[in-house]
Amino acid sequence: MIATIVAAFMLLQVQDTTEVLGPATIYGESRRQELMHLTLGSVEVGRNYIENNFSGTLAQSLSTIPGVQARAIGSGQSKPAIRGLGFNRIAVAVDGIKHEGQQWGDDHGLEIDQFAVDRVEVIKGPGALMYGSDAIGGVLGIYTNYLPTEPFEGRVNLFGRSNNLSAGLSARLQGRSGPFYWKLHLTGSDYADYKVPTDEIEYYSYRIPLKNGTLRNTAGQERDASLILGFVGPRFRNDFKVSETWSKSGFFANAHGLEVRLSDIDYDASRRDIDLPWQSVNHLTVHNHSHFHGNGFTLDGDLAWQMNHRQERSEPVSHGYMPIPPDDKERDFLKHTLTGKLGGKIVLSEQNLLQTGVDAEFQHNRRDGWGFIIPDFETLSGGVYVTDRHTVSESLNFNGGVRYDHAYTSIHGYTDWFPTPDEAGTPVYKQRSGDIQRDFDSFTWSLGAAWSPGRWVLKANVGKSFRVPIPKELGADGVNYHIFRYEKGSPDLQPEKSYQLDAGINWMGEKLSFRVDPYLNWFPNYIYLNPGSSYYEGLQMYTYTQAQVLRTGFEAQVTYQLFRFLELEAKGEYLWARQMSGAKKGYTLPFCPPWKAVFSARYSFLEDGFVLFDVRVAGRQDQIVPPEKPTEGWYTLNLSAGKNYPLGPIVLKTGIQVENLLNRRYYDHTNYYRLIGVPEPGLNASLMLGVDF
Amino acid sequence: MKNSNWIPSLLLCALCACSSPSGDKDLVPPEIFPSGESTSPLNCQEFPRGGFLPFSYVFSDDVELGSFNLEVHNNFDHHTHSTEAGECRQDPVKQPVHPWIFNQDYAIPAGKTSYEANLRIPIPEDIDPGEYHFMIRVTDASGWQQLRSVSIRISGNEE
Repeated sequence: MIATIVAAFMLLQVQDTTEVLGPATIYGESRRQELMHLTLGSVEVGRNYIENNFSGTLAQSLSTIPGVQARAIGSGQSKPAIRGLGFNRIAVAVDGIKHEGQQWGDDHGLEIDQFAVDRVEVIKGPGALMYGSDAIGGVLGIYTNYLPTEPFEGRVNLFGRSNNLSAGLSARLQGRSGPFYWKLHLTGSDYADYKVPTDEIEYYSYRIPLKNGTLRNTAGQERDASLILGFVGPRFRNDFKVSETWSKSGFFANAHGLEVRLSDIDYDASRRDIDLPWQSVNHLTVHNHSHFHGNGFTLDGDLAWQMNHRQERSEPVSHGYMPIPPDDKERDFLKHTLTGKLGGKIVLSEQNLLQTGVDAEFQHNRRDGWGFIIPDFETLSGGVYVTDRHTVSESLNFNGGVRYDHAYTSIHGYTDWFPTPDEAGTPVYKQRSGDIQRDFDSFTWSLGAAWSPGRWVLKANVGKSFRVPIPKELGADGVNYHIFRYEKGSPDLQPEKSYQLDAGINWMGEKLSFRVDPYLNWFPNYIYLNPGSSYYEGLQMYTYTQAQVLRTGFEAQVTYQLFRFLELEAKGEYLWARQMSGAKKGYTLPFCPPWKAVFSARYSFLEDGFVLFDVRVAGRQDQIVPPEKPTEGWYTLNLSAGKNYPLGPIVLKTGIQVENLLNRRYYDHTNYYRLIGVPEPGLNASLMLGVDF
Repeated sequence: MKNSNWIPSLLLCALCACSSPSGDKDLVPPEIFPSGESTSPLNCQEFPRGGFLPFSYVFSDDVELGSFNLEVHNNFDHHTHSTEAGECRQDPVKQPVHPWIFNQDYAIPAGKTSYEANLRIPIPEDIDPGEYHFMIRVTDASGWQQLRSVSIRISGNEE
């Protein structure tokens, strides 16, 4: 039956995944064209940017882009956010296919090998037109599909970080022979418990001593592999990709979930071992992409299967009426996602480029383990869209589009595996989640213009986006042991809607250039997990509700070429969010990032050498909601440098980054461990050595 | 070069100016205080099974209290310590057979900023004696929570 459905929805695709861009040109014509390409605010970075800003995770490496935040969970996992919206409110798409893991979870990171990435496009605004539900806050478009040009070429990277004693090796081998090509990526890394500049953490009134400032049991491992086989003809291109990422990482032992516990496990015995509690994830992707271009049109088709298997294991303990569970399998999720897309571009006239397509997705999620948080479910969703790009002249164009989506969600009820006394004292197996079937319809649209008089590029866009409530929001009904609260879904939630007005002001001079990207965003029914004042089974009750939310903010960036060898840059972001109705009227949204700025000076020498010194500053965040705490402002000093050395037929690439030079103790408001008072890592040096051949 | 310096400064100033004060929202969690002479249970205090555990603490909040919860679970495995200063006498680690499980939610009358809770909790006759944790949790009307954990001991019915 599934196969029939999938076959029926064989799909399509719209975005131009065949576009191969050269090295990013910061100034000049290509930069202007890149800006003119989309009327929404977007930033594109290439592989060099990721390598120069290399951090423990892809989200962290990208978090130096204004408007992009990384929500860290230890040193090896982090979740991306765009303008403060993360989880299911942004779409992460790998080669056009929405990456589907368990992105609702606070402590679940991305399952993507950052060394396999060729290019990242961040769309800072509603991207529903192209990606449907979830792209309500933006899109992180990740591309791994650059074509090899040589019969055989490759790169081997060796990297390490001092703070968590990590070491890793990544290899990229690829080649092309006539119309055929192949690409192979292999990455492996291991890291130890990371260090913070403090000897003690205080949570509520519990004091947790840290041996040598080490956050016990935050070590981890990652292994990734992917293979792409492709064919490029004059009119037809096909690539077939299989990729697998695997990671295992420990949770901070003394406050799994946010409950403080002691254990017989000797966590301090080794910095490298991974004891309970830990999580592991496998993510397998099989993806086929086909592209055809005829006279005045192109066609793209995609078919993908993703399998995401996550396990979270912890020491079995009784809680309330739940007896000691038989094993350590707290949570287990197995999710299959089938995606199909079919899209076409048609040149209607010299002035009009029409894009149209349909896409469909089927998800099948099963849970296991003694902790219940989300029910089993299936969802089937599909959308159809049409957009037009009307080019008046090289310096003026308009974009507009509409999209219609339908989604069906079927949730299976869940009943406890242990009895709880009811009001009369009779033991009963409580039902936690009922059978729920819901249909959702959404109509979205977008309209924008880009105009480039002289050195200016001015953009404006207005659009509507949506998000279908996820099964956790509809059907959760149980104890979230990770955060120690009772979470209750609301089966009647409506699709979340968002209206956003975006502007982009860019000026590119010979020496000076700047950009400002302001936005205004209105959610008539933002889905919010509201902390209530009542208790249920001994835990504070949190309920999913919908409230009006107004958000506004901007990103800004100024670059000045002081001398040929010295470039100064200032960039920053600011966000204001407020709930305008509901139980938390007047409050902000959870994890609202404070204002942030980075001031840097980059000294270039010889052809490709550089030394970059920067100061990162963040403001105090006192816009909070329970159970957050205000977070003090902070600054750090950081240094990075890189240089390439040609050695005969190979090129040796070196890069070093030193973060938090002063080993300052500070807290990041958006860090998962912020709630239990864990500061950010102290002084850290990263080294990367690469050989290109 | 001349006009380049004021732009970053202006940007920084603009950013600073935007951090607004928190207004009149409730941003303070409630508090749990001992009620004085009659405070119970106290850390390391011992209660006989079959008897009563008197509960007496004071809750306060700057705006309005929400509700509170009292919960008792065993610490036979020494899984954690209390929030109180000082450690109590410890028994050897043991397996629970029929441990005391107590978990009760209580309402606080609306509009209160201070509330003294006085309860008598019956201790069942047939439970395992030993070390227990007595957890006190309170919320305010805005959803902030405070907790306090007290180590207690339930004694057997030695003659």
